[in-house]
Amino acid sequence: MNSPFKFDEAQALEIARTSVASKLSPVPKDDVDLVESGALDSMAWVDTLISIESAAGIADFGNPWTEKRSKSIRVLAEMIREAQRPFTEEASENLSLPSHANGRISIVGWASALGSQKVTAEQIERALGLPPNKIREGAGIDSVCVAADSEDELTLAQRAAEIALEMAEISVDDIDFLVATSATFLGFPSLAASLHSRLLMPESSGALDVGGACVGLIYSLAVARGLLSTRPQGVALVVAAEVHSRRLNGPQVPGEFRGLFGDGACAFVLSSAATAEQNDCVSLHEFVWGCSGTFASSLAIRVSEDAGLKIQFKGEQLAQAAVAQLNRIFGTLENLSGVSRTKVDYFAIHQPNPRVVEILADKAHIPLDRIPLVSKFYGNLGSVTCGASLCEALSSFRRSGDRSRTPLIFMAAVGPGLVWGGAYLN
Amino acid sequence: MRELILSDITEMGSGLCVIGLEQVARNEFRSVRPMPPVGYAWPLPFDGQRGSFVQFEPAATSVPCPHVEDQRTHGLAAGADLLGEDELVDLLQHAEMAETSQGLFGCGLYADQLGGNAWVPPDQASRSICGLNYANMRFRVYIDAGKVKLVAMVAMDSGEVLHSLPVVDWTWRQFVTELVRRFTRLPPRKELDALFNRSIRVRVMDGDVHFVRIGLPRPKMDENKCWLMLDSLFPQPDLNWLDDL
Repeated sequence: MNSPFKFDEAQALEIARTSVASKLSPVPKDDVDLVESGALDSMAWVDTLISIESAAGIADFGNPWTEKRSKSIRVLAEMIREAQRPFTEEASENLSLPSHANGRISIVGWASALGSQKVTAEQIERALGLPPNKIREGAGIDSVCVAADSEDELTLAQRAAEIALEMAEISVDDIDFLVATSATFLGFPSLAASLHSRLLMPESSGALDVGGACVGLIYSLAVARGLLSTRPQGVALVVAAEVHSRRLNGPQVPGEFRGLFGDGACAFVLSSAATAEQNDCVSLHEFVWGCSGTFASSLAIRVSEDAGLKIQFKGEQLAQAAVAQLNRIFGTLENLSGVSRTKVDYFAIHQPNPRVVEILADKAHIPLDRIPLVSKFYGNLGSVTCGASLCEALSSFRRSGDRSRTPLIFMAAVGPGLVWGGAYLN
Repeated sequence: MRELILSDITEMGSGLCVIGLEQVARNEFRSVRPMPPVGYAWPLPFDGQRGSFVQFEPAATSVPCPHVEDQRTHGLAAGADLLGEDELVDLLQHAEMAETSQGLFGCGLYADQLGGNAWVPPDQASRSICGLNYANMRFRVYIDAGKVKLVAMVAMDSGEVLHSLPVVDWTWRQFVTELVRRFTRLPPRKELDALFNRSIRVRVMDGDVHFVRIGLPRPKMDENKCWLMLDSLFPQPDLNWLDDL
């Protein structure tokens, strides 16, 4: 029940009086027992404690209440002062250092949630009037996951986040901030704000959105890592969610483009305070990013004046640029990590479609079985693709039972722009 | 004689406040708060439960705003018929309903502090009970002088959140009492909080029905505020849930 702030006696009394004033007018004298005198009933008393908790930033303020103490403004003020974290030299030093003093910001929980309707390649080809085998043979996609009527970015993100938090054994009350990304969730309140409310996160925790389309998850992880570095014992929830099936269903969208996409969400719980028991969790290390405007025209999506979508898609050019750039990212990550790509356990990467992944594996000299191939069964999930791939990698390693080490994972993605990003995890 | 189906039974001091549904047209119901001949609360033991059909003879009533549902009676007579939970919620969906916070009581909500409960001015609210379907909910446990109290947070489909709603739903209160009774020693608050937000919340969210009725108490003397409270939380708790904990 420590407060991150420092209050003197007058300030503590002011907080207590203000919180009581929101329930009572006029405010009783400081020493009056508010409940015993009948001024507040027990529920109003609980709400007063919640008010102080928010105002002073003290978790679980007065809960449980020590039976012997009077429920007066003065005692509330005393308790606000008692709850202050001692401001020691050591604490001061910790605040000026990166919070991950042990150099670690770890993924302690993860999950993906996919659209619950599975549509086969043949069904897509029939529905979009595409030549037979265009999707299965041409793109290498067996099926895509499509959101049911009851599902959207928010419900899928909520499901993924709740599973990830359950795995991490972390309550939503402990999340310092939520970072969300989505290219298909349009309008405001944004996905981060909407998900913050849907998860019933505390009002004192932050919610911010990151762009980048297919690179959005990697950028979100980078932003979360940066924010955690200023917060000792911090927890961040990073979420990506895309429902392409409702955005890319217009007649103006080319069928061969539309048929590649699936719907889903993924969530990761990051902690700068992983405990000894969580030491088998992978940590986020360095990130790389950039933007190559040369290929900006290979994929461009604009909202037109009639609120429809204008799509420019040069599939061949985009695939070539993506393969070349993803390969370059692997090279950069090799240099940063000092580890050859041959030693990497998993490549959690963006997957426009499985054929592009096969070409990349061949060109980059990496075994195909080290790329958790989510696009084959779920379709291109946009920003969720490399997240779902990372979930598969982390779960696969956990299933292997190897506790002697953590896996080395390279993440890489490209998106319209051509924006790109990468990271290595260990 | 008028007939109601009891829909909400809430703790009120040492007694109970009840609300029932009265049919006004095909597929249209309204809430009525039958009150004893004297005072507001029915004494315990109370002969009736959610879903019971009750009859009463109305008596002269003054209706202070926003408690337009108040109806003084000469007493309640409970019948033998009983509606199941799903049937009751189905009827409640045809009574007072809201999709936004503004729609709950016909006026905007006010909150004095971040994360604190909301209130409405009594002279602005047009009713004192309303139902809504929720998208998510969580509990918060408070221990005060050895007594366990439950507060709920509710996420509405509109994206709005109702914070810190005191749970006055009598069935849920009894559920908490039974839960506490099963412990030889009261566990720390954090453990109870985790119990409610893991095992019990999972049962709640796994159900098909996610429905609450939000009520307003009468304003206290010298206070021009009606604080929101959680009159009914569906699904209702099942004591069998405790056996699996």
